[in-house]
Amino acid sequence: MVRLWFDKGTLLLKGDVGTPYGKWDPRVGFFRIKALHYRDVLAYFEESHIALEDTVQQLPPLETLKSKVQLRSYQVSALGRWQRNGNRGVLVLPTAAGKTYIALKAVEELRTQTLIVVPTLDLIDQWRSRIKEWLGVESGAVGGGENVVRMITVATYDSAYLQAAFLGNRFRLIVFDEVHHLASPSYMQIAEMYTAPFRMGLTATYERIDERHQLLPRLVGDLVFNVAVDELAGKHLAPYTYEKKYVELAPEEQELYNKEMFTFRNYLREKRILMKSPRDFQRFIMITGRDPRARDALLARNRALKVALNSREKIKALAKLLEANKNEKTLIFTLHTDLVYDISRSFLIPAITYLTPKNERREILENFRKGNYNTIVTSQVLDEGIDVPDATIGYILSGTGSTRAYIQRLGRLLRKVEGKKARLIEIVSKETMEVGMSHRRRHKTKEKNVYASK
Amino acid sequence: MLPSSLLTVWRRKGIIQPRYAKPSTENLQVANWLIEAYNHSIGKKKSILKKAVDDLECEGYDYRLVRGLSLLLDRRSIFRCTSQVEPPALRQKIFKATGRTGPATTPEQRKNIIRKIAYKLEISSEELEDSMYADLESELILKDFKPIAAQDLLEKYNLSLAQTLLFDSTELRFTVSANWQKIFFKTKRLGLIYDAYKDNEIWVKIDGPASLFKLTRRYGTAIAKLLPTIISSPKWTVEAKILWKFTNEIHTFKLESWKHSPLFGDKQAVEAYDSVVEEDFSKRFTALGSSWQLKREPEPVIAGKYVLIPDFSFEREGAKLYMEVVGFWTTEYLMRKIEKLKKTEDRMLVAVDETLACERMSKLDRQQSLNIIYYRSKIPLPPILRYLEDSYREVRMQQAEFLKNLNVTFTEPVIKFEEFAKRMGVSTEVVRAVLAEKNPSNYIMLPDSLIRKDKLEQLKKKLDQQIAEKGKLAFTEAVKIAQTEKVDLTSAIQTLGYKIIWRGINTENAEIIKLD
Repeated sequence: MVRLWFDKGTLLLKGDVGTPYGKWDPRVGFFRIKALHYRDVLAYFEESHIALEDTVQQLPPLETLKSKVQLRSYQVSALGRWQRNGNRGVLVLPTAAGKTYIALKAVEELRTQTLIVVPTLDLIDQWRSRIKEWLGVESGAVGGGENVVRMITVATYDSAYLQAAFLGNRFRLIVFDEVHHLASPSYMQIAEMYTAPFRMGLTATYERIDERHQLLPRLVGDLVFNVAVDELAGKHLAPYTYEKKYVELAPEEQELYNKEMFTFRNYLREKRILMKSPRDFQRFIMITGRDPRARDALLARNRALKVALNSREKIKALAKLLEANKNEKTLIFTLHTDLVYDISRSFLIPAITYLTPKNERREILENFRKGNYNTIVTSQVLDEGIDVPDATIGYILSGTGSTRAYIQRLGRLLRKVEGKKARLIEIVSKETMEVGMSHRRRHKTKEKNVYASK
Repeated sequence: MLPSSLLTVWRRKGIIQPRYAKPSTENLQVANWLIEAYNHSIGKKKSILKKAVDDLECEGYDYRLVRGLSLLLDRRSIFRCTSQVEPPALRQKIFKATGRTGPATTPEQRKNIIRKIAYKLEISSEELEDSMYADLESELILKDFKPIAAQDLLEKYNLSLAQTLLFDSTELRFTVSANWQKIFFKTKRLGLIYDAYKDNEIWVKIDGPASLFKLTRRYGTAIAKLLPTIISSPKWTVEAKILWKFTNEIHTFKLESWKHSPLFGDKQAVEAYDSVVEEDFSKRFTALGSSWQLKREPEPVIAGKYVLIPDFSFEREGAKLYMEVVGFWTTEYLMRKIEKLKKTEDRMLVAVDETLACERMSKLDRQQSLNIIYYRSKIPLPPILRYLEDSYREVRMQQAEFLKNLNVTFTEPVIKFEEFAKRMGVSTEVVRAVLAEKNPSNYIMLPDSLIRKDKLEQLKKKLDQQIAEKGKLAFTEAVKIAQTEKVDLTSAIQTLGYKIIWRGINTENAEIIKLD
């Protein structure tokens, strides 16, 4: 008799036969197989007509679902493509196109134990309330101090990775929200250490700068559905406009900026370092670990950047804009946590950063939704998928220079509300390298044609 | 453990080591300075403390050392929010105030809102501003700090550096002089897999289940957590493979107790007994004063693909036996244990407590139960001694067999049995018996050694000469002469054809005469 069981994120096989997927493990004296291949191993033994004692899966009990999920036409076709692909694959849809509902419908139709993997704690809350509302069941959660497994369980990427040895055999369907994260070297091990035969990946931004998205077909399944913002904008999503406001640095800020940048550029010139691509910059960062002078140069550059990003003039410009659009639901984005708190204190508006306790975060978002708050200032935490239903204006006070963050910040505003026209305004310092950063970002987005025109 | 951004290493020819902070005057000074800064900051904001730490960095000390030490000190500190009003509740009030009307875009609007809320809460506007974000990390107040000596801080830092480097490890090998049980227990709890092999010492390789498929840093954190347990043993050697993240090259990271334990400080673990039964047995056995050396928690024994750490080992002149003490058990457990034990090449004794059976004792196969000793409450000594003696006899027979078949030609003038036995790893008795039987030509058998015939003749000649010259020979004199030939006179005296004439108990007065 051949026996197959789960061992800390892998499968062990006892018996006189191997499989094309296994490898002999001399440490324990059994064949060891990646949990990812669970489905393939079962198929292999079935085709070979070999009896198998399979104790791999330890599934939590099923619960009764009372689903209210109704899909739109494009959501129906997305789900159909996924199902025809053997309940595997990646769906690419723009933010706010209702990816959650497609996943919930998939759970409903498969009626099976499901793990939903999400990037942030906020998203755990959001998914759980959606599951409660639309499928009519309580869900389990792993991450942020909670550790309850139920038929439908939501976990962060971090927890799913760290707990793979205990959770890997407890689900038959695994849904990766913002699946582009899965391609990172450590998170990809989630896909490898879980046995779930059915897999769904959801994202608005399939491609990664490092090309690692090419790993996703092996981990989750092929890209089975892809629709860009343009195709949906106006029809299902609110269109939006984009404006750029240039602000000059105050004279003393400009002087400080020039001085710090001079130190940085001087070092580069002296060492003949060219800075053309993000990779060049990474190489430079490595040098700073060895050479204290390189580190000084880096610190000078960071200080210059901080001056440009946090310029008082920008706050003044922001005050004017806020004054002019006082009654609109507003989100303010900035990269620096310090600046978030500065703005929160200056304008007396709620702030959300990575430091904000979970309860307060929930309370702020809830009040924003209800209209008790009308403006939130935030650093990167709201970047992905968090539902902020009807914000109509977004301000960007500093950018990260990365395409994905940019698109998803746009996405934050793309909520379909009757008669709404969302606006995104970026406030950029003039005569600094930040203009270049912002330009690069816009440029890339345009090329990919994901951006809807005015 | 520290964030890897604070790790600093040197790499050369495939070798990697953290840059440790040796207890130099300068490093001790930095440590002391920081400890003082924490001591003096009790009652102050964390941001002020951190500013002081930043200043130290700017003075040209390595920022990674300064921040690393500071982080370790943070872990000895208690930071608290001391605000009169609850900051989250206060914020809610403030935000609700601007929620309907929109952000306070002018200083006047802002002032008004703050004044109104402060009035309601019966605090001042300044207090309100201070309390608004008093629960933020940087605004917390240092309430208490557990002081530490500078030297100890550096030791903790060095251990943390080593652990941080291990985050990037793909596997770790080690050998230790004690603590095996604790290390294996922890290894299992951390979800790691071990594999043992013998290379003079017992070496254990540690990695995780998925390491079979590819080099992965996945188990690095768990491996790092294991390090303190390994190095709490008196002697250790640790060798890890580090997959260096910036270059993706494999490096060797080696730690040896003789070299590195001063860096980490002395943290030896106290040996504790698993149970009263074991402690009691150990006391009674030692009290017997037998020629067996009893050792608690000896080095592990390899049993096929498993590693066992027996509870006791008994050692006597090249013979070594182990004993496992089984607490609660089921028949299945016992069978499995015996299956495991069968795979060892070592002799195993299993002591099983009858009263702790979790089910009715079933008849274990007679043959299998051969070396099982059942007991109630106390491990009995007689059956164990009997077993030890039996085994010893067996071992001796094996040794004799081995020696007999051994092709040795002696050339040395004198072969001491004890030394030879030690060299061969067998008992002295066996050596004596086998050599008596072999009776190598050119040698004469003495009670404790073999002596070459010509050597003996030479000695005899010397002694005879002395007697002829002086008429008599004092015993002490004769001993000295024999010593120059490296012969123990008392054991050789009969074979030489002499005897000792005692006059009283004083050896000074003893004399040697010819037998006939």
